Amino acid sequence: MNIICLVKFVPDVDNFMYDYDRNVLVRENVKMILNPDDAAALAFALKVKDRHPSTFIEVVSMAPKSIIGQLEDLLRRNVDKATLISDKNYVGSDTYITSKILAKYLKAKSFDCILTGTHALDGDTSHVPAQLGELLSLAQLSNVIKIDESKFDGTQAVVDVDREKVISSYRVGLPAILSVQKESKYKLPHIKFKNLNLNVSANMTIVSNSDLNFDVNEVGIEGSLTKVSRTYPKKMEKKEHIVVNNDDEGIEVVYQFLKSKGYV
Amino acid sequence: MNKKELIEGLLTILSVDQINTNEDDLYDASADRYKKYAKARKVLDVPMPIAIVYPNSAEVVSKLLMFCNEHLINVIARGGKTATEGGLENWKELTIVIDAENLNEIIKIDAYNMQATAQAGVRLQELEDELRKIGYTTGHSPQSKPVAKMGGLVATRSIGQFSTLYGGIEDMVVGLECVFPDGHISRIKNVSRRAGGPDIRHIAIGNEGTLCYITEVTVKIFKYFPENHKFYGYLIKDVDTGIKILREVMVNGYRPSVARTYSEEDAKQHFYHFHKDKCVLIFMAEGNKEIVEATCRGIEHAVEQFKEGILEYVDSKHIESWFNHLNWSQKDIDDEFEGMLEKDYHAGFTTEISADWETIPKIYHSVIERVRNEFARAEDLTMLGGHSSHSYINGTNMYFVYNYNINCDPEDEMRIYHHPLQTIIVEETLKFGGSMCHHHGIGKFRNEWTKEEHGSAYYMLEKLKEAFDPKGIMNFGTIFFQEEGVKYQK
Repeated sequence: MNIICLVKFVPDVDNFMYDYDRNVLVRENVKMILNPDDAAALAFALKVKDRHPSTFIEVVSMAPKSIIGQLEDLLRRNVDKATLISDKNYVGSDTYITSKILAKYLKAKSFDCILTGTHALDGDTSHVPAQLGELLSLAQLSNVIKIDESKFDGTQAVVDVDREKVISSYRVGLPAILSVQKESKYKLPHIKFKNLNLNVSANMTIVSNSDLNFDVNEVGIEGSLTKVSRTYPKKMEKKEHIVVNNDDEGIEVVYQFLKSKGYV
Repeated sequence: MNKKELIEGLLTILSVDQINTNEDDLYDASADRYKKYAKARKVLDVPMPIAIVYPNSAEVVSKLLMFCNEHLINVIARGGKTATEGGLENWKELTIVIDAENLNEIIKIDAYNMQATAQAGVRLQELEDELRKIGYTTGHSPQSKPVAKMGGLVATRSIGQFSTLYGGIEDMVVGLECVFPDGHISRIKNVSRRAGGPDIRHIAIGNEGTLCYITEVTVKIFKYFPENHKFYGYLIKDVDTGIKILREVMVNGYRPSVARTYSEEDAKQHFYHFHKDKCVLIFMAEGNKEIVEATCRGIEHAVEQFKEGILEYVDSKHIESWFNHLNWSQKDIDDEFEGMLEKDYHAGFTTEISADWETIPKIYHSVIERVRNEFARAEDLTMLGGHSSHSYINGTNMYFVYNYNINCDPEDEMRIYHHPLQTIIVEETLKFGGSMCHHHGIGKFRNEWTKEEHGSAYYMLEKLKEAFDPKGIMNFGTIFFQEEGVKYQK
């Protein structure tokens, strides 16, 4: 089975420091991480490959070349091929243009399933998977929290989808696009010690506009028609910090606190 | 010899109930706290011993060692199982663990001559409890006191948290009994002092089970005056100030039982209720009233000398509260084990080194800088700091402490995190002329630096091994580097 995983590297916004005095995010030293939903999707693919070693996994990411190191770390986790779509003309592309660029690359590929995340930590629009479904004429499901591994045979997938109040099961013919959520709990394996410095450069391909041949006016900021009407920072509240002694009085304070929150 | 023949051989020396071949117990005996995370996750990469045996006398230990020596069977000596450096880890297919469980008698408490004799398998806590009943103490209080046993404490050159007053175990041991691989039983008599040639106690003390098996020890005891305890605490400017104050106290001849200085990061995890993100300096004075008063004056005077580095005085009741929660019990160890099944997190890993007063700050700063700049997984570190907790007239120790999130498979943790960190600490320490192991012993994971640690004196260590364990059956890989063991280290 051939699986393509679409992944994105995002700033680790869940672990941003917040400067409560200046009321701003501290952006220094923020690291880029694999988007958690995408990591869950890739983790499921690797689980399949673990059980069926003939499975071929390609990760595809549209990003600057600075993430090559992180893509190489995915290859060291038993991914077969990594493709980085990177071109200076693509910088500033909105979700629709991003989907068009990805679709053009994917149209030329043969695959049984595309796995990706539902949400991205940074933009969080969830546009790309659905737009890709439209552009590639494939069924697409978001909020997938479970894929039945025993029925995932290259012709169909049986999945559980979180619809907020209910969980529904769907059977979908393959190829299709399945957008997984991190709540699926599929966990990306670590790189084995022996593979930490494995040379994987032969399995890395960089695709640029000279391969995809877009008119430069169609892509990047110029080609992107999305207009952002307003942005606002998330409001953060400083939590009260109480220090108690390790004595009866301190224990009582902790007990009453837990009780007020309904934990005891 | 195969496994079956080995068990049959053991049965000629021991009864059936003295031989344990339970799978879970053998798995547990395969490694110590060095690989506790991998052990908890059931991914240990070392062979299991064939059996754990429980002799009940020095004579039986003698027969066991002769048998193992004849048939080239690796022997691991075991006490309370609190080893942290791989000393109890097994690297050989044919291995037996000789556990001191049945050597469990307190033989004599001699208050007039101020000494107590106990077999190797007596828990330190048990001896301490008996002594407290009559107003005495061993003065030895490692964190592992409730669990650790006398034989193991002596075999690893243990140190307690009140060592600045009472000394390390090497200062406490009066005499001992030990058994060598050829079956010879040596008894070193209990005298106050002697000049009868080299001090042969030190062949056994700290041998880590590589030369002989300790079966009995006699230690000094001390009068105990808990009513006189005094505590001091300070928030201070930096580690260097703390080291200077410790030195001032020590070089003027004072011996507080506790004299410690903590970096900001380490203070945060020990003194959450008062640290204020500052370095912490603490003292405790104990002993008879007059000595405590003099020690207190010495501490106060030293602090006054460096008052520009003192940021705040800490209520002494906070230090007393800390003092009352010093030890970890078997339950703490079990809880930690359970926690490691659920969390990808390692808290409280340490590497302890020592050097003279002048050198310790250099090593500290050099290590911290190298770790921050060179350690590949620095971003996974959730804490990096240290404290000095055992001082002497000519120097002190530094206990580097680090916590980290584990972003690798359990079997790779030590290779990816602890060992590279320990390597930096050991390299910097040896470069500056310090000792790479203050009190945990060398175990199996610092053996690659044993030669460098001892320099030209390694000759003496090597000759001891050749003389007492010529066939190399005693704790293969501990202290002495073995090429065959590299696959378990790197």
